[in-house]
Amino acid sequence: MDEERAPLFKKWSYWYALVIGFLIVCIVLFYLLTKHFS
Amino acid sequence: MSRPDWIVLALTLLGMIAYGLYKGRASKDLEGYFLSNRSVPWYMVLLGIMGTQASAVTFLSAPGQAYTDGMRFVQYYFGLPLAMVVLCISFVPVFHRLKVFTAYEYLEQRFDLKTRALTSFLFLVQRGLSTGISIAAPSIILSSLLGWNILWTNIFMGGLLIIYTVMGGAKAVAYTQQLQMIIIFGGMTIAGYLVIHRLPAGVGWTDILHTGGKAGKLNIITTGFRGKSFDWNDKYNLISGVIGGFFLALSYFGTDQSQVGRYLTARSLTESRIGLLLNGLVKVPMQFLILLLGVMVFTFYQYNREPIFFNQAELKALEHSKYKDSLVLVMGQYEAVDKERIGVGTGDAVTRAQRLVTIQKEKEGYKATIRRWLTETGQDSNDTNYIFLRFVTDYLPKGLVGLLIAVIFLAAWGSIAATLNSLSSCTIIDFHRRFSRRTISVEKEYLFSRLYTLFWGIFCVAVAQLAYNIGNSLIEAVNVLGSLFYGVILGIFLVAFYRKRIGGHAVFISAVIVEIGVVILTVLSRKGIVPLSFLWFNVVGAVGVVLLSEVLQLFMKKRPDPVVEKK
Repeated sequence: MDEERAPLFKKWSYWYALVIGFLIVCIVLFYLLTKHFS
Repeated sequence: MSRPDWIVLALTLLGMIAYGLYKGRASKDLEGYFLSNRSVPWYMVLLGIMGTQASAVTFLSAPGQAYTDGMRFVQYYFGLPLAMVVLCISFVPVFHRLKVFTAYEYLEQRFDLKTRALTSFLFLVQRGLSTGISIAAPSIILSSLLGWNILWTNIFMGGLLIIYTVMGGAKAVAYTQQLQMIIIFGGMTIAGYLVIHRLPAGVGWTDILHTGGKAGKLNIITTGFRGKSFDWNDKYNLISGVIGGFFLALSYFGTDQSQVGRYLTARSLTESRIGLLLNGLVKVPMQFLILLLGVMVFTFYQYNREPIFFNQAELKALEHSKYKDSLVLVMGQYEAVDKERIGVGTGDAVTRAQRLVTIQKEKEGYKATIRRWLTETGQDSNDTNYIFLRFVTDYLPKGLVGLLIAVIFLAAWGSIAATLNSLSSCTIIDFHRRFSRRTISVEKEYLFSRLYTLFWGIFCVAVAQLAYNIGNSLIEAVNVLGSLFYGVILGIFLVAFYRKRIGGHAVFISAVIVEIGVVILTVLSRKGIVPLSFLWFNVVGAVGVVLLSEVLQLFMKKRPDPVVEKK
């Protein structure tokens, strides 16, 4: 199914990890912002 | 609006129509009209996906929502990046391999004709109605704030874009969305800069964050728990955002033709995937910044005269009600409290924020009184959607007001144009061509496609006119309407992709039963009998269809081996 190669990374799974990882980083940063300024 | 504002507004809108007509010249067949000959690069796919999702209410309501309820609305988008990943793994490769025009075509190959027709029909009903509401939403706000005639505002909001959408199809939609997003981001950035620029000397980012934080506007992450129990009726929290938002985004981007039609225009599977994954990366920060703009406007109004109610037209109507004398009294008391802010200019940012929030809490009492009177007199007591535009018209310089109003129009156009294109593609591909007994020539198919685009354009403007009195927060009305159908449609696709042994009869009957169930659940939720927020309807619909079709399949004949999954 993945006959087309992923750009920038070796595999598409690295892209998926990047998207999910970035979401987790955003949530953590938002949590810290909420805590710090509440 | 001043003359320079009118000039900027007119030039921007006319320029967009001309650009759409110029760029929209594609081959005169369905492949060209609906899929832009599958030639669109990834960055235009990305902007197309973003432009289709971000309607006018996104830019009007979101800052107001942060102003009144805080930034917790951003959690609604937490499921979106996860959905992008699932789409890229499961949905998009299949759509590309089968070279479908609509997502629903796949369902006939996987199940049968009736399942395809039902799903496409649900899409047409839901999308046609919700597009009408998304035309009405900004039109009502603009007509109320600027005194424009509602019919003409609806026609300009939902009608002018029909010209280039009918003539140029998907190609015109893709190119105009690209330009629209650039203008929208430019306009919002300028607005953000001017909010900070207009704060008093010595007041800046630190004050914005401290004032917003002390006033509870930086409630970006909330758990939804009250004590030890989870509040199922709470609309925006981490859990409902990740789970409910995931199901909503998966359904919207994976099964709603207005979105599927955008990434099917990509020149390859890779370009579709990159467009979707980058959308997963940028959507949450983008929504965060739009909401932060609302907190910035909130802080601005702590240092400047804040209207007791942002919808001036409703307030004026109250002056002629039985509360007219009480209104004068309350307004006087409110003004006296509001003036106390002038003395808070000393001390550090934290001390200033503390003083301002104390004053704000006092003002909230008077605002609540006004809202109660408005409700009692049958008027709209929610001014959330008016906050940002009121700031724009009251405080931005001449010319820029026109640009920001153009931003509202362009945001609406980008979303509506993509929808009209998709409504037309489903009508001709899933119904007209599929059920026609005669073979239709390429020229006639092309002609019918344009006529259907025109028809849906007129239909949506008519719905907008009918939805004039819908009231309350309109961004939610669109989302609630979507949640009625999205879960069930997603459930059908999930069975198609992941439960290979289930056949068409089982999934069709399940979809009908669960859809009725979701409608009943919505009514019960609205009446307060079942405490469940609308985001959960997507989960109920999707899981309901999967589970019920599993059960029904046990009583039915084993379906033959699937055809489409074979290469």
